[in-house]
Amino acid sequence: MSGIHGRYLRIDLSRGTSEHVAIPESVSRRLLGGVGLGTWLLLRESTPGFDPLSAEAPLVFAFSPLVGTGLTTSAKFAVVAKSPLTGFVCDALASSHFAIAGKRMGIDAIVVKGACETPSEWVRGVLRPTASWGRSAAETTSVLGGEGRVAAIGVAGEQLVRFATISADGRHAGRGGLGAVMGAKRLKAIVVAGELETPIADRTALEARADRLRARAAGPETAKYRELGTVGNLLAFDRVGALPTRNFQTSHFEGAEKLAAERWRGERAHRRAACAHCTIGCEQRYASRPGGAADVRIEYESQFALGPLVGVADPDAVLASSARCDALGLDTISAGATLAFSMECGERGWLEGAPAFGDDLLPWLDRIATRDGLGDRLAEGSLRLAREIGDEAVGIAPQVKGLEMPGYEPRALQTMALGLAVSSRGADHNRSSAYEADFSEEVDRMHGDARSVAAAVAAEERAAILDSLVLCKFVRGAMGDLFEESAAILSDLTGEAWSADGVETVAKRIVDLRRLGNEREGWQPADDSLPKRFLEEPIPGGPAVGARLPAERLRDLIRSYYLERGYDESGRISSDRRTAFESELGLDLTGPASGGADDA
Amino acid sequence: MSVARAGIVLCGGRSSRMGRAKAWLPWFDGRTLIEHVVERIRPAVDEVLVVTSVALDLPALDARVVRDREPERGPLAGLRDGLAATSAAHAFVTATDAPFLTTEYVDGMLSRRAACAPVEEGHVQVLSAVYPGEGAAVAERLLEEGRGRPRDLLEALDYEALDANDPALASAPWKGFNTPDAYLDAVRGEDPDARCRIEFLGRAALASKSPNLEVPVGTLGDVLAQAARACDLDLDLVEGEQVARGHLVSLGGRDLVRDLSLPVGPDERISVLDAQAGG
Repeated sequence: MSGIHGRYLRIDLSRGTSEHVAIPESVSRRLLGGVGLGTWLLLRESTPGFDPLSAEAPLVFAFSPLVGTGLTTSAKFAVVAKSPLTGFVCDALASSHFAIAGKRMGIDAIVVKGACETPSEWVRGVLRPTASWGRSAAETTSVLGGEGRVAAIGVAGEQLVRFATISADGRHAGRGGLGAVMGAKRLKAIVVAGELETPIADRTALEARADRLRARAAGPETAKYRELGTVGNLLAFDRVGALPTRNFQTSHFEGAEKLAAERWRGERAHRRAACAHCTIGCEQRYASRPGGAADVRIEYESQFALGPLVGVADPDAVLASSARCDALGLDTISAGATLAFSMECGERGWLEGAPAFGDDLLPWLDRIATRDGLGDRLAEGSLRLAREIGDEAVGIAPQVKGLEMPGYEPRALQTMALGLAVSSRGADHNRSSAYEADFSEEVDRMHGDARSVAAAVAAEERAAILDSLVLCKFVRGAMGDLFEESAAILSDLTGEAWSADGVETVAKRIVDLRRLGNEREGWQPADDSLPKRFLEEPIPGGPAVGARLPAERLRDLIRSYYLERGYDESGRISSDRRTAFESELGLDLTGPASGGADDA
Repeated sequence: MSVARAGIVLCGGRSSRMGRAKAWLPWFDGRTLIEHVVERIRPAVDEVLVVTSVALDLPALDARVVRDREPERGPLAGLRDGLAATSAAHAFVTATDAPFLTTEYVDGMLSRRAACAPVEEGHVQVLSAVYPGEGAAVAERLLEEGRGRPRDLLEALDYEALDANDPALASAPWKGFNTPDAYLDAVRGEDPDARCRIEFLGRAALASKSPNLEVPVGTLGDVLAQAARACDLDLDLVEGEQVARGHLVSLGGRDLVRDLSLPVGPDERISVLDAQAGG
């Protein structure tokens, strides 16, 4: 099968060794690369119930069949591990030359196991002490960049902050705390380089297909991302009552105008940039202060989490916080949401010394990353902090399965509410993207029903394919029928006949495999839900005033989702199906009876 | 607590010809139609009940919200649920789309202390009528018998038919509307200069010389055309009968729509958004 190398590199940090291990072609056909292959490697290389911060925990960097093909947005890789934040299967994607250079080593993935005795860096096969411990990922990259392409952690990863990131080319595998997994191994950086080209079955046909996709990706379907980027969401979400504000207490922010990218355009320097091999160029950089150079990369999720969610309306402060998170290696969503949660706890008198809404976040981000004072407790994430405080606090902690919620108010976006509740990664906007239906006439966004279930299932499957090929989500609008076009691409690439149905089957398999992985690690039905606040309180004001998501409605949506997926009423996959997965994929998916976020 | 007079607003209908929930249609001064109607009734009664289906959220109201147990059975089922939920001896019952209702009219009707309804050219105005509290049990029986019209209930209660030509009823406060044109006519009748606010966001904001405008009320198609002309918009927002694919319109922050025939009401805020949300 072309498009892959059929092997991965297993690095054992405890022994200082590495070896190539074969990947059966049947696995590549069944799961492709990225999150599909990465999940398989994680489950294959671990024993049920393992501690994500232990030496035995695998940390997987998975490339994909399309890496190196020149298809727009295909230079992406998935980092896969058991999340120290959720205790479940977690994958995070980043776009960078790291993916291209890594695959040129003649491998489809890297699996890092073991732990170094002292802080180290792995550079093209050599494990050596690092001089970069205590530095940012960007500084580390500038030191090591001459030797290859770098993936590195910042101070937060070193300090095992449960929402630390892994960075490459200034982009971040952000969610779930995978930087802490790397930090627990005392591994500062991985540097890759190679010369091997990806074998392509029909290069001419694939290049022609890539040209057509590139042309479409320059069209109206991606115009919003090119012209404004995701920061264009903020004001729109505010106007429809979907902008989480002050720890999700409401969904309309009085300072939204000041944080709107539409306004920034006239006030501060701006420039666009693009990831490796991307022709969309959604990255938006703005001057951190009027009059300065356009130096800060900002996305909607960072803008919302470090702005409205924490009651901050000063754009300079939001841009500075985003830059600080990047420098420290903190996931902006979890950092902002955990701080927002602590702020509300402080207001209620539950948490002494907590910051207040609207406070300067910079010292707090430093305290989290260095685990200084209250920052040490915040570094554990909102769910663990809430459990320390008490049950009432758990009800307002903005998380699902321990992962902090992205910038979509679930009461006003109820297809997304379902997507957030059932996602294997936790509160997640990238493995579901169910919000697409809410922002259409396809569903009644304020009243989830059967249409929402169908939309959430379809969105999950589209994401599973895009994240395994891997292609950027922003190219989705430029593709006609995603499964058909993916099948055509895979046929040209692999030299094998792929069908749209076959691709869809892969998507369903990946969704199921992640659920089986979570079951192995202790998932329980109660993990598929939303915090009490969303099920008991209507939105108190703003455009979506009165929007409610009663617990019964969410339960019905979840039950229908399980039915649609062929799970039992409690959301479990039948033992026959699990056995079939084990046999097809050579995995042991039987796990201990407990685990999950409680034990992580 | 026992009360003497209640007002019941039925707003469970699907408003399919209007294309938007009538309860949320704007009716001047930044208020929705349901807020306006409740305000008109409230001074004349001891309590107001709003009967609605679970599929309709409501703004904060000075009223008790009662869930319509069987919305698919029509207004009599909602009427039954409203009457059953109050201890009032008599209740004035109205639909949501009754912007011309006056407190005096409601007061006058309830002062009769008996089942009564205006009759206009042979049509009994069943949703601008008074029903006694015991009507709940009668409505239940009628529904069981398969008789689902509110008029059946009034007849079973031996109601008093009021001549709509009576000068006291001359303003016909039961007049409502079922279509965008009828709604817009009613709005313009109240204020010929009624205007709405339009805001361009995202790409439309970048393509507009003035992202915030006020234009006369109308259908969404009318409003977008006027706004695009007024601000010299360098972007095509319309594709046939729909808003163009790359865009989406928020009406009042609640409905996300592309249908150009929908009505836009007084003081309503319309936001033109990029359709590709998220990321």
